[in-house]
Amino acid sequence: MDGMYILSKDHLRSFLRKINKANRLVAPIVNRHGDTLFSVIDDLDYAPYEFNQQSQNGIKSFFFPQQETIATYSSQDGDYSFTAPSDEPEPTVYFGVRSCDLMAIMHMDDVFMGEIKDQQYMAKRQQAILIGLNCNHPFENCFCNATKSGPFLGSGFDLQFTDQGDNYLVQVGREKGAALLKQWNQFFTPASEEQIQNQYQLSLEAMANFQLNVHADQAIQRLQNGQVPEEIWQSLSLRCQDCGGCAFICPTCTCFTIVDRKLSADHGIRLRNWDACTFSGFTRMAGGHNPVHHKTQSIKQRFMHKLCHDVKEHGSPSCVGCGRCVDICFGGVDIVRFIKMAGED
Amino acid sequence: MQTIATENYLPQSAIIHKIINENSQIKTFEIVFANQAVHDSLKYLPGQFMMVSVPHCGEAPISFSSSPTRTDAICLSVRKAGQLTSAMHDLKAGDNLGLRGPYGTPFDMVSLKDRDLLFVAGGIGLAPLRGVINYCLDHRNDYGQIFILYGSRLPSDIAFHEDIKLWQQESGITCLLTVDASEPGWDGSVGLVTKLLADINIDPSKSSGIVCGPPMMIGATLKELSNRGFADENLITTMERYMKCGVGICRHCHLDDKLVCTDGPVFTRAQLKTMDVAELR
Repeated sequence: MDGMYILSKDHLRSFLRKINKANRLVAPIVNRHGDTLFSVIDDLDYAPYEFNQQSQNGIKSFFFPQQETIATYSSQDGDYSFTAPSDEPEPTVYFGVRSCDLMAIMHMDDVFMGEIKDQQYMAKRQQAILIGLNCNHPFENCFCNATKSGPFLGSGFDLQFTDQGDNYLVQVGREKGAALLKQWNQFFTPASEEQIQNQYQLSLEAMANFQLNVHADQAIQRLQNGQVPEEIWQSLSLRCQDCGGCAFICPTCTCFTIVDRKLSADHGIRLRNWDACTFSGFTRMAGGHNPVHHKTQSIKQRFMHKLCHDVKEHGSPSCVGCGRCVDICFGGVDIVRFIKMAGED
Repeated sequence: MQTIATENYLPQSAIIHKIINENSQIKTFEIVFANQAVHDSLKYLPGQFMMVSVPHCGEAPISFSSSPTRTDAICLSVRKAGQLTSAMHDLKAGDNLGLRGPYGTPFDMVSLKDRDLLFVAGGIGLAPLRGVINYCLDHRNDYGQIFILYGSRLPSDIAFHEDIKLWQQESGITCLLTVDASEPGWDGSVGLVTKLLADINIDPSKSSGIVCGPPMMIGATLKELSNRGFADENLITTMERYMKCGVGICRHCHLDDKLVCTDGPVFTRAQLKTMDVAELR
């Protein structure tokens, strides 16, 4: 099934219930503290899913967990051997994923399924169906218009929903989405020309609704031309509190570390953990030498990688304009601040 | 090229066959894979590295100090510097290691053919160059004159005595040593390794310089060789960075827009000059 369909909002829960029978379901849920977070839905009948707030997390951690076991090892009787974890990821439908977070997954695919096929990531990714939700109303810190990663997407999803008041316009992306639609076709009716036109109208209105005015292109160009003075890195690095919050909340930050955890004298597990290039220990070598001068350069790699190196390598920045780092950084060293400073003469 | 465990990070079991004490801080480990078929399938070139695991200590990248022309065992020469390398120094022959690799871009041994080669090493920096030098000796007709300049902090820090003895006996090879500071009994050269350049007669137009050592030494030596007429394309070094994955994903080894693990560790000065590199600052 190609093309555009309509799902009445009255049928959303029934549709989700059907797909939940064969799939784990992940969607933005309001927890008891009032936080909206992408979470696994345990009981759909009582799940307070929330599509009017920006989820505080992206869906990165479902594919690239904050900590995961990449091997178990044993070392005894002259044998030192490693075994891959045997757990198979569950088939999972991610529902209500915003354009920025979908673009972030496309970026992660480049990292983990490019030249190197990371088995841990790929296993989870192959079991995923991504259902996007276009953004009619960008949130306070959003600037995906500047990073060309929203608010409406043309690809990167299996299905994409657009809120049209009492119904959703449903667009088919990849094969998995078409199959899902075909399987549950009783919920969908073909969209009228008017409804399809309405999506275009909504996308134009969304573009006009951004509160921030971020000139990412200008900053990218100045970085490429070497026009960003060292003083900017220095002044921002001095304000960085070394908390790693920006990297952890960022849906495209994928730097990691690998550590062994001893479980007994002769066996243990090897873990992969999120890491942040802003940490002083990120580049410190055995013996103490550090090629990055932490006080003056700690944030340089972060912004160079996102706005310059990845543009060179992949054709687009690895910032998707979700704005989450703006709120999380108490040093004010977020990417919006940097882009503004880099653009000034 | 056959590579072990690129996509699932699973090391293969290997056995330490022999340990050579190069000096008080450096040991060379001669290693064979526990599985003979794995050992036989290993294909590498000088300049590449292996990710080495020691039980409960994680992994670290270690350059080959052996040449692939000598297939009985691979050699990894390790200076005691951090947790993993200290644990390696506590191991004995017969003990196990985990190995995955080889990783990284090697020295381009083809483009070095017919050239005179100047090796300049400082301290443990001789380890990766030892693999290149022995490769050249095993393909002696392919390469021109060989000059080896090796600097150590103190006479008692000089490592790779056995190799140096062999190199100094070989015709067509000049191997000179120097130390930063003398000790009783030393009657050799005292001074930085670049001082030894005055003692050799080399034509930069038909030579390549291959440099490895501490960060400061790399930068200073490349600059000195450049001043003496070596073209940047013919000045080659191998870089060291903290590393976790070895395959270009974890990004610990970033070097401006490149990664040392995949784009390097071998770089020419021409490449490095286009980047923001601490060693060249």
